[in-house]
Amino acid sequence: MDQPAPVIAFRNVSKKYGAGSGAVVALDDVTLEIAAGELTAVMGPSGSGKSTLMNLGAGLDDPTSGEVWLAEHPLHALDDEARTLLRREVVGFVFQAFNLVPTLTARENVILPLELAGRRLGGADLARVDVLLAELGLADRAGHRPGELSGGQQQRVAIARALASQPRVLVADEPTGNLDTRSSRELLDLLDRAVRDYGQTIAMVSHDPVAAARADRIIVIADGRIAGDHRGLGPRDIADLLISLEVGAA
Amino acid sequence: MNRNLVLGSTRELGTVALVAGMCGAYAAMLVMLSTVLGTSSAASGTSGFGAVLGVVSTVFVLIALYVSAVVVVNAVDTVLAGRLGRIALLRLLGARGRSLRGAVMRGTGAVAASGALAGVAAGTAGAWAFRVVLVEHHVIRRLDYPVVSPWLLAPLASIVLMSLAAGWVGSRSVLRVSPAAALAGQIADEPRRTSRRRTAVAVTLILGGAGALVLAAVLGESGDLGGFVLAFLGSATSATGLLVGARLVIPRAVAAVGHAWGGAPVARIARRNAVKDPRRTTRSTMGLVIGVTLVTTFASGLQALRLSVDSWQLSATRRDEAVSVLSTMTTILVVVAVVSAVISAVGFVSTMSMTVIQREREIGLLRTLGFTRRQVRTMIAQESAALSGSAVLLGVVLGLVYGSVGAQALIGSQTSGFVWGVPWRVLAAIAVGAVALVLVAALPPARRAVRVTPIEALRIW
Repeated sequence: MDQPAPVIAFRNVSKKYGAGSGAVVALDDVTLEIAAGELTAVMGPSGSGKSTLMNLGAGLDDPTSGEVWLAEHPLHALDDEARTLLRREVVGFVFQAFNLVPTLTARENVILPLELAGRRLGGADLARVDVLLAELGLADRAGHRPGELSGGQQQRVAIARALASQPRVLVADEPTGNLDTRSSRELLDLLDRAVRDYGQTIAMVSHDPVAAARADRIIVIADGRIAGDHRGLGPRDIADLLISLEVGAA
Repeated sequence: MNRNLVLGSTRELGTVALVAGMCGAYAAMLVMLSTVLGTSSAASGTSGFGAVLGVVSTVFVLIALYVSAVVVVNAVDTVLAGRLGRIALLRLLGARGRSLRGAVMRGTGAVAASGALAGVAAGTAGAWAFRVVLVEHHVIRRLDYPVVSPWLLAPLASIVLMSLAAGWVGSRSVLRVSPAAALAGQIADEPRRTSRRRTAVAVTLILGGAGALVLAAVLGESGDLGGFVLAFLGSATSATGLLVGARLVIPRAVAAVGHAWGGAPVARIARRNAVKDPRRTTRSTMGLVIGVTLVTTFASGLQALRLSVDSWQLSATRRDEAVSVLSTMTTILVVVAVVSAVISAVGFVSTMSMTVIQREREIGLLRTLGFTRRQVRTMIAQESAALSGSAVLLGVVLGLVYGSVGAQALIGSQTSGFVWGVPWRVLAAIAVGAVALVLVAALPPARRAVRVTPIEALRIW
């Protein structure tokens, strides 16, 4: 079978924080590929290294050893400038909170990555942004600043921004972490649709079984190592899996 | 209540100490030098000179005190803005807003008192050394001059009182903190409206002052010396109007200057951040406007006088004499006036650095989204340039008007037409100073800001 190249590939990646006796091993010899066109959920208990994994994959941090490939580019071999330029071309981000630049309106926040990438913004680009905002139910909030939006609206603006530049991969770190159940479900529906309808690749870090159950593939991390790689799990299976990990560790 | 819990390290209050010290040194210098010159002139039978000097130094010290007060209010407000989470925690644990505010006042008062003491001591020593030099060069006679004066207590007390009051005003935000909101990291910037009455007062004063200035220029043409008094009143009135309405004028000026950087995202965010908190924008630049206005007014007025003198038919010796007197006066007045600008520049640098530190998360986000290090540095430099550039421009324009109208009112009848005094050398020095200020204020915080990796910045909560 002809496999397309993975969007993100980790080869024997380790990450240590600190040095000497105080050193913490966040990732320990991880090898993993994130495939295109899928929603991959990375799960694990707090401090398991799941956020570190995503930060390395998106070029926000350096591995201590090993190789990280993003969209066929060797991140481990690039300097900060080159990584920044690559990041703004191929990655869209959604964090748990504080996603938006407070002094820019919702629409300006969405356009920002396009402008940064130095694209000449034609009418077609702006029209696409407006369609995106409308689809996310933000048409009448486009001129508002983040401070004037609800938490759910802010996260939807963040998703619009992450999708607007049509990135190779959307990296979401606990995107529903600060939301109520309803906003959270709406947000997951949006991510789902982006994968099903537009073939968007999404890598999502979460410790919420309900969120992870939407994923095509679930990677479980514990103590900096990959502890599981599953497909087609329901929320209850995932919850059991996580509980067994926590109990096993104790 | 331990003040360290509210205000944190004394490093953050370093600006308060520095400003109090500079103000104290300056006041002590002026007090001691006018005492010395007063003694010297009394000995030679011209005691009126000493009284005039006393009044003039008092005015200059009051201006410096005012500028320092604005800087201290801003420093306290900015320090506290960065510590709202901590303050919320204290509130949550049961601290009352009033007692926290008292702690802030005691903190700024103590820091300012030690700064002022050191400053007054340094200024007194400086004045002593200067007097020795003057005596050695036979500028003034060898007399039994006092080394200290009871009048030194006045600036000391004023600085401490000023900083207590400034601590009170600057800590207004403490009372606005709702413990729950602040712990959630969401402190809403409540919209700060300028009252209609303030606007009306400001507009009336500015228009009235401008009218007086025009009238003064006309009176000057007919040789009526009442015009000079009117020019002084007009300048003072319109300047007061501008101070009252500073919150309306300065943020607009900053936004206008910021538009010069273009519409790219970097420039847009820099511009918006420069005026994000209009009150802070105003406070951090107002002192600069005052200082630059004072310097330009004196330089421009004396330059206009000099241009007029040049146009008169004088003998070469008399002309040289007049020019020499005028340039000595220019030097003295500019040196005396420049202190307000320097004090406010110190405040500007510290505010800039603190607001960048407080924006670490935002900068981390921008870096994540693809801002290069250079773009972050440019953004901070543009913000700094929009703020100080507009303050300097405003000050220069005001100074040119005040100075030239003053000169016109004084000797307009002896010169044909209105003479603009454009003191090129002083303006060039101001421009160089402004560029230096932009760099000093922007580069260190920018360097710190880009040293942090995006995820380190985003992790801070």
